[in-house]
Amino acid sequence: MIALRDIPECFEGVIPAMMTTCSLEGEPNITEISQVHLVDDRHVALSHQFFNKTQRNVRENPYASVLLFAPRTFEQYRLQIRLDHSESEGPLFDEMAARLQVIASHTGMSGVFRLRSADVYEVVSAERVQGFLLPPDPRLDPPEHTPGRLEAMARELRGLQVISCRVNRAGCLEALLESVLNALDEELGFRHSMVLLPDGRGRLVATASHGYGSGGVGAEVPMGEGLIGTVAARRRPMRVAGVGAELRYWRTIRAELQHAGKAPSAREIPLPGLPDAQAQLAQPLLVGDHLVGVLALESRTAMAFDAWTETFLNILANQIALGIDRASSADTDESEPIPDLATPARSAAPVPRKRVFQLFRNDDCIFVDGEYLIRNIPAKILWKLLRANAESGRTEFSNRELRLDDSLGLPELRDNLESRLILLRKRLEEKCPDVQIRPVRRGRFELQVSCAVDLRESESA
Amino acid sequence: MAALDPALVEFLSSGVVLGCASRDARLVPRSVWPVGIRVESGGEELTVFLPVATAGEVVADLKDNRRIAVVATAPVDHRAVQLKGQVLEIRPASDDERSQIDFHRACLARTLEPLGVPRAVMVRFDHWPAHAVRFRLEQLYVQTPGPAAGQPFQAPFRPPEPVRS
Repeated sequence: MIALRDIPECFEGVIPAMMTTCSLEGEPNITEISQVHLVDDRHVALSHQFFNKTQRNVRENPYASVLLFAPRTFEQYRLQIRLDHSESEGPLFDEMAARLQVIASHTGMSGVFRLRSADVYEVVSAERVQGFLLPPDPRLDPPEHTPGRLEAMARELRGLQVISCRVNRAGCLEALLESVLNALDEELGFRHSMVLLPDGRGRLVATASHGYGSGGVGAEVPMGEGLIGTVAARRRPMRVAGVGAELRYWRTIRAELQHAGKAPSAREIPLPGLPDAQAQLAQPLLVGDHLVGVLALESRTAMAFDAWTETFLNILANQIALGIDRASSADTDESEPIPDLATPARSAAPVPRKRVFQLFRNDDCIFVDGEYLIRNIPAKILWKLLRANAESGRTEFSNRELRLDDSLGLPELRDNLESRLILLRKRLEEKCPDVQIRPVRRGRFELQVSCAVDLRESESA
Repeated sequence: MAALDPALVEFLSSGVVLGCASRDARLVPRSVWPVGIRVESGGEELTVFLPVATAGEVVADLKDNRRIAVVATAPVDHRAVQLKGQVLEIRPASDDERSQIDFHRACLARTLEPLGVPRAVMVRFDHWPAHAVRFRLEQLYVQTPGPAAGQPFQAPFRPPEPVRS
């Protein structure tokens, strides 16, 4: 019998498994199942969300057989299993229910299905199906060099050291986030990453991104929704190894519901980031029990993130979380010069002579020249700065005066002012480079305006 | 007695992934990956091809009690049907039948390659020699995941939904 821990890839849901059961009348039944969950070396779990023939069979005859496929080698494995018990609460149930809802939410089916139970099976035997694959033909399939475990571990350790140093040295939150995401790419090969910070109003806002071009910052994710929102709400890491396969499976269920006239009304929520991501991983950034953000990684390669990646990134996530917490609360010393931040290249397009800023008070949302710019507390901050500049020509401001201004609605504890200013700065760089905010000393910044500004307010659009 | 409609016959030859189930005398189920399927007698009988290399226990079960279930799934969109019946004959697949097995493998390779299964792997699936297992179709079920899964199949077979990758 092989050890289940030696075939972890088979339990990632990249290739569907086949499950066979038998009724008490002796009628075999075979069906495809999207994922088998590894519980421990003697147990696996299957999700029970529909009452079907498989469910009826295992409740009268607990024996079942499962064919699993390894998504990298395509070897086949056969498990003979026996239903042990069902769980409708507890950590295993919660984990499986969360996974179900993550993918369901991406296909517009949040809340359509609930996990009835996590059915736990004892593994009676587990074997590689001998003879399923013929030996590889070296002429058709030349062996590739893949780094050995020691080589990979050396690289990961070096990456950990580099990122740890960058977190330690970063002089401000923005520099910290940028340098960490760069290092994740340079040292560890994670090409697409973002850090989302809570906005205090039940949402997470992408405050730094790498590998998404200029449009990555500012994306919002409601707490509890999709992979990133679920990770934030549960404060536990999650990954989806085969996004494409899971989406195909759930879109089929959605199509079947539509055919049966039971189509869910919820819209399909686009995945944040890459439209063609095949693997996603999100890590909560925690200081104690306090959520300071979420680190999200994506890849166009299925299986890019495995259990080892998740464990390894957990160490990094702890370092990054401590760095964010320190940088967010250490901006009150106004005597220290701010470290250099890259100055964005100005657009080559002709600068308009006047830019119209429109504030909609009902949702604290600012548009510039008719295009959405920013909302919530960063919008209130921008409006305060622009009005002060228009009324008195003032250009320099301090974090302290923003914190003392009750009208901005900053929370008293953990106000995330630093991250809100980063978001505002990046949104201005992207949408309105004629108006910039630049740090000048720790805790102080300058408003730079190179156009005429027309400020308009209305209650609603 | 059930019979397959033409759309289902076409579906079975379109590069579907197959699974074949049996059970032993103690009602312990077992399964194997078939390497091809052929519809016969106007859709009332089918022959499924099971590789000798991996089908030993399943074939022993089928010889013992003759109860068989076969699932056919389109890997792109997971549309699936399950066919159940009584085994009529088990014999070695002939050389003529080997070309049908090769045709099924070629269709399957075309279907699976865009989903990430390299052709170099497809040619390594051990497929020969094979058992030819002919069975009489008695029951036919929808197996597409969703609310109708497990219900008796009713013609016509619904055409595939356009599915994004």
